[in-house]
Amino acid sequence: MAKEKGKKDTRPLMNMLHEVQERHGYISEHMLKQISVDQDIPIARLYGVVKFYTMFHTEPQGKYVIEICGSPSCVLNNGVRLEKFLENEIGAGIGETSKDGLFSLYKTSCIGCCDEAPAMLINGEPHTKMTVERLKLILKKLRDTEAAQAGEKKK
Amino acid sequence: MQILRQTKLEALEKARTLGPDGTIALIEKRGLEGRGGAAYPTAKKWKTCRDAPADERFVVCNADEGEPGTFKDKLIIRHNAETLVEGMLIAAYAVGAKRCFIYLRGEYDYLRPRLQEQVDDVLARAKMEGVTIEIVRGAGAYICGEATALLQSIMGFRGNAMCKPPNPTTHGLWGKPTVINNVETLACAAQAVLFDDWDSSLRLFSISGNVKNPGVYEFPLGVRMSTIIDVARPEKKLKAMSFGCFGGIMPVDENMSVTPETINMEKCQHGAYSIIFIDETNNVVDVAYSIAKFYTYESCGKCTPCREGTIRMLNLLKKVRTGKAVRKDLELMRELATHIQDTALCGLGQTCGNHILTSLQHFPKDYDAFMKKL
Amino acid sequence: MKIKLNNNEIEAAEGKSLLDICRENGINVPTLCYHASMTPEARCRVCLVEMDGKLVTSCSTRPREGAKIVTNSERVMKARRLNMELMVPEPSCKREDDYEVCQTYKEVGMGNARFSQIKDYKPDLGAAVIRDNNKCINCGRCVKVCAEIQGVYAIDFASRAHNEHVTPYWENHLADVACIRCGQCILNCPVGAISERSHIEEVVSALDDKGRHVVVQIAPSIRAALGELFGMPVGTLVTGKTVAALRRCGFAKVFDVDLGADMTIMEEASELLRRLENGGTLPMITTCCPGWILMMEFFYHDLIGNMSTCKSPHEMLGMLIKTYYAKKAGIDPKKITVVSIMPCTAKKFESTRPEMESGVDYVLTTRELGRLIKMKKVDFASLPDEEFDPALGISTGAGVIFGATGGVMEAALRTAHFLATGKELEKIEVNEIRGMKGVKEGKIVLNGKEIRFAAAHGGANARKLMEQRDKYHFIEIMACPGGCIGGGGQPIYRDPDTLRKRTEALYSADRASKLRMSHQNPVVQQIYKEMLGKPLSEKAEELLHTHYVKRDRF
Repeated sequence: MAKEKGKKDTRPLMNMLHEVQERHGYISEHMLKQISVDQDIPIARLYGVVKFYTMFHTEPQGKYVIEICGSPSCVLNNGVRLEKFLENEIGAGIGETSKDGLFSLYKTSCIGCCDEAPAMLINGEPHTKMTVERLKLILKKLRDTEAAQAGEKKK
Repeated sequence: MQILRQTKLEALEKARTLGPDGTIALIEKRGLEGRGGAAYPTAKKWKTCRDAPADERFVVCNADEGEPGTFKDKLIIRHNAETLVEGMLIAAYAVGAKRCFIYLRGEYDYLRPRLQEQVDDVLARAKMEGVTIEIVRGAGAYICGEATALLQSIMGFRGNAMCKPPNPTTHGLWGKPTVINNVETLACAAQAVLFDDWDSSLRLFSISGNVKNPGVYEFPLGVRMSTIIDVARPEKKLKAMSFGCFGGIMPVDENMSVTPETINMEKCQHGAYSIIFIDETNNVVDVAYSIAKFYTYESCGKCTPCREGTIRMLNLLKKVRTGKAVRKDLELMRELATHIQDTALCGLGQTCGNHILTSLQHFPKDYDAFMKKL
Repeated sequence: MKIKLNNNEIEAAEGKSLLDICRENGINVPTLCYHASMTPEARCRVCLVEMDGKLVTSCSTRPREGAKIVTNSERVMKARRLNMELMVPEPSCKREDDYEVCQTYKEVGMGNARFSQIKDYKPDLGAAVIRDNNKCINCGRCVKVCAEIQGVYAIDFASRAHNEHVTPYWENHLADVACIRCGQCILNCPVGAISERSHIEEVVSALDDKGRHVVVQIAPSIRAALGELFGMPVGTLVTGKTVAALRRCGFAKVFDVDLGADMTIMEEASELLRRLENGGTLPMITTCCPGWILMMEFFYHDLIGNMSTCKSPHEMLGMLIKTYYAKKAGIDPKKITVVSIMPCTAKKFESTRPEMESGVDYVLTTRELGRLIKMKKVDFASLPDEEFDPALGISTGAGVIFGATGGVMEAALRTAHFLATGKELEKIEVNEIRGMKGVKEGKIVLNGKEIRFAAAHGGANARKLMEQRDKYHFIEIMACPGGCIGGGGQPIYRDPDTLRKRTEALYSADRASKLRMSHQNPVVQQIYKEMLGKPLSEKAEELLHTHYVKRDRF
């Protein structure tokens, strides 16, 4: 199906898309066109692929992407409370990015941490056995780091 | 745990002395069955792939462990990846494949750097000429755990399930014969080749939900439910258990001996033995609702019953939970769930009404609690 | 191989799908996502039958020896009905009764609507093709035809689950992406979610405007297809009735695009000979098809120099109507409205091209003409046969066959031979360039020199031919399968034999023509004598030729 041509990168497309997203924070229209030309993949198809997988983003994301697990195990262990807390705390709903551009909030299907529920991924790293108290600490730490980095830059 | 026994490349060495046919024969003798849920005999799959005429064959490790409540493959990738990779090499050797893939779900991406190291290490030590293993990174799509969708994703397409036949074993990646086994199966394959005392009856159980000791446990098939409950240690009285999302919800019976047959008797499916325990403080309809939400989010969208049916079932459950539903709505829900079971395109689609059917069958009182008073 | 089909033991060929076996045995199985010329995807799941007690999709299932098939059980009917109900929560067949979905309603028998519409998409509006995703049932035929048959890949599915929808990349409108406007997606849409941008209203108000002189011209392939919209058998030639119907709709004059085709041949054959003699860019490629022109401009713009500069026949005639005819009839060209009836949606786009300086004001598709005739309450079937208005209504068999793949090439060769050698071809029917093969080729000798030519139809075949283009001197491309007779503006058809029958109708019209070469057309000769001088003259270049632009491949 996919055209095999000399110059084409033979690595899986999924890995390439991940790498583009890691470099740029999201997959822009411009990058999509670039991949389409380089890999000789029709752009409508490429867009369809990007839009199929929930971890690929076509909009700029917050510096920290928080994915709350919505699996039954996490729901049964008070996961819903965390969701409400987070929405309030960062001032953005599910699928949105906070005004300061720091956090993007998503709900995800099971992340396979059911034995340490409730759980969430922050930039891909699992955070388990979460409580509101622990979440407060984590957010504070991230914000402090940001503030410190912003201070460094000013100097 | 048997699954954590290391084979240290000795299994591969043994396979090489046995030859491809000898290896497949040994796997058959050991009675290894696929651990992804379908329990297909591994030797048979490998033999079919090996016998299919082709100039190229592939081995794919399905590490897209997306079924909610399942986390046993994560344990293997974390603690015994070497044996898993060795299992892949044995498969590649047995079927005559060079290019191998590990499709790792995006949610497990943090495991990838360490896994990559171990892949490189095993490949270097195994010295199998021309054999490569690439890790393909998933990106959040439950459906890619389904074999045909997974292959589509590796080839760079949307993860849509495809019609079968043809089967991937004979017409897989780029139309070529492809063995797809899940993580546990491949690790078991290495162990089954090496260890004469390998026990084919042991299964990994992923236990979670309303219990104090969730985790991965190894039990023989036929284990009594009370044994499982003893190690899981619920705080309150257990009312129900859900087999992942797809397997259905049934009452907890301490005297039950857990086998595929006993589970099927309750119209449920064992799958990869993921048990989410639900205690008496919860209403099963709420659990069914969270499962319905999952399917409405994860359906690949290709076939009508799954794409359109899952959202309609969710809407009906919403109606139930807000106290607006009448009996007729429950009937419609049952009709939809049965219809999806009957007519969806892929194996995953066909199961996405199980939670409705089984919860309606086993927990009518939970529904009654919500029903509109006429 | 023996199987049991509804309790009858029958012999079935190995490897055939259940759907084919059922249809061969006279059993109707409804389908929506299935199309005979594309690989089955089994998305819609309306073609369900029972095989050995299990429901399977007949389009994608091959039976085993001894299989027991049931096509009419209550279980089968219920399952088909429920899938229809899920796809189309609010069934309606108001505008057109030829959508496949309406046929399928009848076949499965729709019950009460139990589900509400959940889709809420904004319409995709363009100058040629428009889409309404709220009607879409995600059958995927538009995506497949665009990719597999047309090789354009302008649309695909995006998102998933109930949000899965068909879209150009980045949720763009079709009009803003590399879509060639061929309209094959329209022909393949079973629910009418994709259609042409209608210009009926504009045409009707022009007709009602007493101050306007509204003339109409009809393309060759209309006469071989319009009858289908009025219940006539496929392949019925309805030239005379079409002319009569147009007069009754209120058009002042009815002209024949075949004459424009004859003009195109005069210009194009001369251009070919000039290129052959002067070492011009070869192969020369035809430009009658606006879908192909767009495809070239998007994906092959290094070929702009290879393209003939000739306008398409209706654009040539449109120009002649506003110059030659206007002068002869003594009418102010500003008061003339030219309407083209075309088998094509890309023609709607073509007449808006700035490079074109088009004489055509509105383009209606064959389907729109059918609607207009019904709207005007003209009883098509009982109309007498009438002749075109002679001013620009005399044509030749060469012009008629423009509607079929290979036709432009054949007509051009007939005239090129005469212009080059002064003699008529001995055998004027160029059989190697006829028929439904994707890429066809042949050669003739002109003044001792061998000229190799080729024709392709359908975008994917055009791509194949472009890869080996250097082998030829002269190439014809039609973007739609079968050429214009299979154009995206033609009546929607289900029977795969339709294209062959329509083509045969055109060839029969050619055989019945007294004049079969463009250069023999007396009106053509008169136009050159009175206005243009000779082909490729300065005046001819000004009125009848155009140029092309490079477009972004996205």
